[in-house]
Amino acid sequence: MAHATSLQYEPVAEIGGGAYGTVYKARDIESGQFVALKSVRVQTDQNGLPLSTVREVALLRRLEQFDHPNVVRLMDVCATQRSDQETKVTLVFEHVDQDLKTYLERAPTAGLSPGHIKDLMRQLLCGLAFLHSNRVIHRDLKPENILVTSKGQVKLADFGLARIYSCHMALTPVVVTLWYRPPEVLLQSSYATPVDMWSTGCIFAEMFRRKPLFRGESEVDQLGKIFEVIGLAPEEEWPTDVTLSRKNFPPVLPQPITDFVPEINEQGAKLLQEMLTFDPFKRISALNALEHPYFKEEEKLTQTKS
Amino acid sequence: MTMSLEDELTTAAVNGNSAEVEDLLRRGAQVNGLNRFGRTALQVMMMGSTPVARLLLTHGANPNVADSSTGLTPLHDAARTGFLDTVRLLVEFNANPQAVDNANCRPVDLARKYGNEDVVNFLDSLENSQ
Repeated sequence: MAHATSLQYEPVAEIGGGAYGTVYKARDIESGQFVALKSVRVQTDQNGLPLSTVREVALLRRLEQFDHPNVVRLMDVCATQRSDQETKVTLVFEHVDQDLKTYLERAPTAGLSPGHIKDLMRQLLCGLAFLHSNRVIHRDLKPENILVTSKGQVKLADFGLARIYSCHMALTPVVVTLWYRPPEVLLQSSYATPVDMWSTGCIFAEMFRRKPLFRGESEVDQLGKIFEVIGLAPEEEWPTDVTLSRKNFPPVLPQPITDFVPEINEQGAKLLQEMLTFDPFKRISALNALEHPYFKEEEKLTQTKS
Repeated sequence: MTMSLEDELTTAAVNGNSAEVEDLLRRGAQVNGLNRFGRTALQVMMMGSTPVARLLLTHGANPNVADSSTGLTPLHDAARTGFLDTVRLLVEFNANPQAVDNANCRPVDLARKYGNEDVVNFLDSLENSQ
């Protein structure tokens, strides 16, 4: 790990407090490019950094060697000792000057073309399949951390940080959006890679709607809004290890997904439903989603730039 | 740490949050005010966010302010990252296409280096029309 962040990377603005510690937009003085600096303070003892942090950083660096086109580059990792008990670990990521939220806001009033949405979805799923095959769960996928370059290249950001920061998250009471959270996370059951596929489904719907699909104001409200679309989950699918009972929710029936996403085509609607599946074990994986008939039908890909 | 209005404005701009930018300007944030890193909102904004760029520029943001360490202007950054709409807008609000950074590069040089051909064509067309 290098020790000279402050010299090469000059912060220019605070991006956010975030659940994970402060994130800065900075400039790499050597190349002139913008980067994102993500820092976390970790407790150290006589053995140095905790093994869990070293392992997570090593995993991120290993991912980097694949140079995957749909994830942001990890350019550098720096450690600065603050005191005997504390070290600041800074991850230097590639910064892309546009996220999917801005991209959707900027789309023409007619919305994105079906071929364009398919292209974005294919790239998003490629990035996700890559992370999942390396046993990395994103856990917080949302339009703000799906980046889109001016050439239309999708790059996932903020992955793999959750575990590095996990011990600090409890200490920072920040508001995190519930809108892309799957039922198993809202119910505080155990979770794995399918969580990201739920979020991907929400984002897929949002590309057509250009507004979020489920806008809940609390965990329970979010679940209620989900059931109003997919129907109340059957008793046998309700996780057994959770405190929130199925009886708290009205017995609503599933509604046609096309009522909420009218512009989607037939195969797109089928894929979306496989993503918005309550039971994480029955939910489609990123690899299988890429093989879905939705991606087999070719549409005229009107390449819209920037 | 308490954030000044200008710190908040640059944070809203860097996130491409146009509603928040508008609200802060209404609440009296100085459009050319410096944040605690010595930068203005236009210098640090999400370059792909044309709505934020438009808001800042219509409120009088100076498009020719250069980065204190590298000499790069917002037009250099927009040209390097390839966001043509933002490039056009900056030029419309009198950003200088001939500005040079500390390495003596103009915006068009960076656009070319990073393969942003539509930006190169646009900036070249300005020179030809002069």
